[in-house]
Amino acid sequence: MARSPSTLRVVLTHLALVVITLLALYPVLWVVRMALSPSQQFSSDPTLLSGRLTLQNFVDVIWTFDGGYWLFGAQLFNSLVVATATAGVGLVLATSAGYALSRWAFPGRDAGMSAFLVTQMFPGVVMAIPLYILLDTLGLLDSLLGLALVYATTAVPFSVWTLKGYFDTIPVALEEAALLDGASRWTTFTKVILPLARPALAVTGLFSFMTAWNEYILAATLLGDPRAYTLPVVLQSYVDDYGASWGHFAAGAILVSIPVVALFFALQRYFVEGLTSGAVKG
Amino acid sequence: MAGVTLNGLYKRYGSTSVLEGIDLDVEDGEYIVLVGPSGCGKSTLLRCIAGLEEITAGTLEIGGRRVNDLSPRARNVAMVFQSYALYPHMTVRRNMGFALEVARRPKAEIREAVEDVAAMLDLVPLLDRLPGQLSGGQRQRVAMGRAIVRRPDVFLFDEPLSNLDASLRHHMRVELKHLHRRLQTTVFHVTHDQVEALTLADRIVVLHQGVVQQVGTPRELFDRPANTFVGTFIGSPSMALLPAVGAGGTVRIDGLEGELELPGEGAMTLGLRPTDIEVGRGPLRGQIEVIESLGAEALLHLDLGPDRKLVAQVPEPCQAQPGEVVSLLPRVVHRFHAETGERLP
Amino acid sequence: MKARRALQALLLCGVVVACLLAPTWAHAADLTVWHAYRGAEEAALREAVDRFAEGRGHRVRLVSVSFGVYDSKLETAIPRGNGPDLFIAAQGNLGKWRRMGLLVPAGDVSGEHRDPAIEALTEGGELWGQPLAFKSLMLIYDPEVIDTPPRTTDELLALSAALTEDGRYGLVYEAGTPFYHAPWMHGFGGAAIDEMGEPTLDTRAQVDALTFAAELAALMPTAPSADRVSSLYTEGRAAMIIDGPWRVADLGRRVAAAPLPLVSPTGEPARPYLTVEAAFVAARGQDPEAAAELASFLSGVDGAQIRQEVGRQAVTASRVVPSDPILQVQLDQAARSEPLPTDPEVQSAWEGLARALRQVLRGTVLPDRAMAAAQQHATVLRRPPPPPANPWPYGIVLALLALAGLGALGYRLRDPDLRRRMLVHAPDYLWIAPAGLAMVVLVVVPFLTGAAVALFAHHQGEWSFVGLAHFIDILLARDWPITSPMSFGFTLVVTVLWTVSNVTLHVVIGVALAMLLREPWVGLRGVWRALLILPWAVPNYITALIWRSLFDAQVGAINAILGLLLLRGEALQIDWFSSFATGFAANLTTNTWLGFPFMMVVTLGALQSIPRDLEEAAEVDGAGAWQRFRHVTWPMLMPALLPAMILGSVWTFNMFNVIYLVSAGEPDGSTEILISEAYRWAFSRGNRYGYAAAYAVLIFLVLLFYSRLANRLAGRKVL
Ligand SMILES: Nc1ncnc2c1ncn2[C@@H]1O[C@H](COP(=O)(O)OP(=O)(O)O)[C@@H](O)[C@H]1O
Ligand SMILES: [Mg+2]
Repeated sequence: MARSPSTLRVVLTHLALVVITLLALYPVLWVVRMALSPSQQFSSDPTLLSGRLTLQNFVDVIWTFDGGYWLFGAQLFNSLVVATATAGVGLVLATSAGYALSRWAFPGRDAGMSAFLVTQMFPGVVMAIPLYILLDTLGLLDSLLGLALVYATTAVPFSVWTLKGYFDTIPVALEEAALLDGASRWTTFTKVILPLARPALAVTGLFSFMTAWNEYILAATLLGDPRAYTLPVVLQSYVDDYGASWGHFAAGAILVSIPVVALFFALQRYFVEGLTSGAVKG
Repeated sequence: MAGVTLNGLYKRYGSTSVLEGIDLDVEDGEYIVLVGPSGCGKSTLLRCIAGLEEITAGTLEIGGRRVNDLSPRARNVAMVFQSYALYPHMTVRRNMGFALEVARRPKAEIREAVEDVAAMLDLVPLLDRLPGQLSGGQRQRVAMGRAIVRRPDVFLFDEPLSNLDASLRHHMRVELKHLHRRLQTTVFHVTHDQVEALTLADRIVVLHQGVVQQVGTPRELFDRPANTFVGTFIGSPSMALLPAVGAGGTVRIDGLEGELELPGEGAMTLGLRPTDIEVGRGPLRGQIEVIESLGAEALLHLDLGPDRKLVAQVPEPCQAQPGEVVSLLPRVVHRFHAETGERLP
Repeated sequence: MKARRALQALLLCGVVVACLLAPTWAHAADLTVWHAYRGAEEAALREAVDRFAEGRGHRVRLVSVSFGVYDSKLETAIPRGNGPDLFIAAQGNLGKWRRMGLLVPAGDVSGEHRDPAIEALTEGGELWGQPLAFKSLMLIYDPEVIDTPPRTTDELLALSAALTEDGRYGLVYEAGTPFYHAPWMHGFGGAAIDEMGEPTLDTRAQVDALTFAAELAALMPTAPSADRVSSLYTEGRAAMIIDGPWRVADLGRRVAAAPLPLVSPTGEPARPYLTVEAAFVAARGQDPEAAAELASFLSGVDGAQIRQEVGRQAVTASRVVPSDPILQVQLDQAARSEPLPTDPEVQSAWEGLARALRQVLRGTVLPDRAMAAAQQHATVLRRPPPPPANPWPYGIVLALLALAGLGALGYRLRDPDLRRRMLVHAPDYLWIAPAGLAMVVLVVVPFLTGAAVALFAHHQGEWSFVGLAHFIDILLARDWPITSPMSFGFTLVVTVLWTVSNVTLHVVIGVALAMLLREPWVGLRGVWRALLILPWAVPNYITALIWRSLFDAQVGAINAILGLLLLRGEALQIDWFSSFATGFAANLTTNTWLGFPFMMVVTLGALQSIPRDLEEAAEVDGAGAWQRFRHVTWPMLMPALLPAMILGSVWTFNMFNVIYLVSAGEPDGSTEILISEAYRWAFSRGNRYGYAAAYAVLIFLVLLFYSRLANRLAGRKVL
């Protein structure tokens, strides 16, 4: 940059950033404070510095048992498995589809692309009952696999959309080169395209992971057994009509958020690339 | 190693026709350069040979074998793309060895083949870098190397030098020539740069709107262009075309004084190359508009009359001044049919 | 080496599948018991069950099912054989469960029980559950402030007025909830429904009760939530609260209790609803006899003793002597209470009553008008489903449509070129087949099932075919005037407003931040960016719940902060969920907070591909900052932003969590959007699945129309 901006502009910009960031962080910090405060009630004190700090809430939330069976551990495991499986299933389904839609002009391609996007318009929560019946018919009720499949289907359209956009930006010449090098379609896909699509795969995988990690209505409906519960269902029950334990909820919320926030930060440098190429190319 | 034969090759995309009946017989080891203006179908032809595009009609033979329906890998051809198409996530070594890796050759063999070629192309110090860490010229050489490692029957180069700067391009031209002499493999080289065509080719194929205009050695093309298109396309600066009428052993350029002693009766088109025009004597007269100095030579832009322009190349130092009127003598004149543009015998 | 790889892959697959299926193995027990207890009550139940199991060698599993989904789970699981053997619940849904065939009669009474335990669980001359405990509201007071609790409502009013001053209150209770209003309703001689199940909300007694409640509410903070009530008591700022024994443990302060006072004008006791918790033997259980045994044990003296001691329940078993005064009060209160009606029709009265209560307490509507509206609301909700339709015409139309579809497909396939291309591209289809198949099975099939459900009415567990009646009712606004928040038209307008304002704010804020963050002279750019996408990273149901609490009228930090900012010296008392504008603003704030990071990231990415020289060129040409943005940057951002905006608008249109968790439709359902309204019809207004499915179909059609429109406006295919 040849010219440097005026001091006033620099100061104002940073001021604006500080204010907006504080606004963005306030509810999050509020959770942290509630988690560390000994009371289970929602405090009306708007300042974030509270008196006594304790980790008791975390202990209470983590140390839950169902007759010798460590519930929190099982539920954490469930959440991890479901979310990972969702991301995995979602990626497997979406990657090949996104690639085919990006590359090959087979009859019905446009219709297929629209069909994927149209499924984004189905009102999800209302489908809980039909899904319950369906999973029961497939014998997948109460199994994490069933839940992962359900989540994957909500994650797949978005993934297909993002990945197709990203594949569109990969030059076709690379595949042609590989073809001339004697690689089959599959080899080209696995050895040339997929390694190049890593940023998009990471971002897409993360979003699928989050879909599963954060969902509670379907989980609450489709899982009957507390040992099969995922963490959001448990968290939700801390503040249901039966009575609210905000301290436990907040502690649980932090435990639930840490993994996604960590993944988010780890992958955020890919976001810009992975997301916008999808957006630009539509 | 193999010769290539194209027989009535057509390529259409829906209703648009890109290649219209290409006939070409290429001998084993020949260096063929395809030239033509942008969009004339050069890349398409190359891609048809490679198998990246389906051939609409006609036959393609490589080494005497019909390959129309063979997949690219079964044709054993190698291609260097204009963008090089190096795999960005693989090292130079893996890029070069990828074809062999895919063919499941033993690791040691791949290593040896890659290193041989790398030595040939001065790529040894770059072997463990990624394409992103290379300069344009280096990438170009890697792309060449990748094609060579496979020892294909035919090389296909699609404008391989067009992304390089002038001096590097010149250097690579020479190197390509060397390589070809060493490998003796059939090459199809696409370019729109006629210098490249003239310097590299055993034979040049001039393509225009999907039709082959002329096939021949650089000399043949330069000395005996088959039509006005080839005449103007080959040679720089370009040949000037002037309408003329012949009668009884002399030809007169429309709208000008002075007659040229040439055979032919009736309307025709004359083609005059700047290098073939002698200044200072002769039947034609022209006024110098601009003088362009190129160092060893100068180009005189001449106005012969309304709508009649001509360029003449003269050695430097040149004493003429702009505005001066000079006499001109065309040493060689190409005569073309007035309507079809075909060369007249 | 290849073999080893394959083996590893196989092993991995095995482990993954094992993990995914693991919870299904956990079912190995003889008896499964569902409950929604927590804390001490759960411990008590566990101890009682262990005691039972010791003696008999049964293996019993206690399953704690989330309270919010308890009923709908029972209703879906039991008929499909996935339910418990025994479940513990209040008697409120007994009528519906019985009609749906979820229950097995309980058999003989297990010992002696206090009234009205047996009566509440008896229907059609049979006992359906073994009674466990009573639960009802009572008067809880601070013994340090009050010596003798009020006996009559006049005394209550006087005492409350006397104790209410500078931030202290005489009486606080959750006045806006029908359950908490019920004591007055009954005490003044009213009832939610009559013996026929007809709503009786617009009677004189109802209006009087509501007028009295408004008098009490005038001495209270506005619309106190359950949280607020208990925290006021804990802080020593409320001398009396009306609440149940379940709250006592949370209060963290000495309590005394008394039965609710007599209603002075009528001389009748204020009778709260009484829930009789009972153990019900589920139909289709594995071992109904053992389940019945366990139920008897829990209900009988031994079980009751444990539940009273460990769980501090007011047990129904009359041979068990209450161990402390509060339990005694609870039992006394139970004797002067109104068992929660087991007639499912009562459900239809709740929503209207709740709205009337809140309107009156807010002072926006007079009691008689409010109750008239509530009566109207309940009458519509209670209306039987549309008359059955003849399925034949529908079947024929459907068959014709399917035939036409197949015909059209066949016609297209007659084109030999198309067939040839399909054949050439045959392998391509394999690549989309897995995703396509999954979508068809798990999205399209459930949706079509759902859509088919829209042609049926679900009423009290029974289905009937009604054809397009739901659609006609909804679209013609047959039940409510189009201006009512309950009408589809009104909700659609709100939803569109919601979508447009959200997406606009997301884009404006996201783009503005991205423009700031790309300036090279901004320090710590990575840090800002990371912090600003945090709202996107935190699960949205968590933040939605937090925002809801931040907007709470009394406990909420927003009012406190506004108070500070406006230099009032104390928190404002805005009840955010009392008017459409403020309720909508609260939802909007939450969702804007959640949604701007996505747009910011998309914009940041798009900005990277816009060369700065373009703007510099414009600057050289003399364009001001705004002009540069408007004429150079914005047009170049558009291609990236447009698809994001359109996709974002679809997501916002269906953003269930925020509406459901923040405003929950308050006030009066006016801030509800289509999807949350559909959810209410499915899950909280008497499980009208058919009606809800019709909403879902309409939502889908609206979005489909929107996407076609968006494509046309964008001039290309973005959706
Ligand atoms: N896939 C295609 N569909 C339709 N037309 C094409 C396609 N590929 C190339 N063409 C047309 O074929 C002509 C020749 O293209 P090309 O072979 O790339 O020319 P060049 O000689 O510059 O390499 C161009 O006019 C181009 O528009
Ligand atoms: Mg080309």
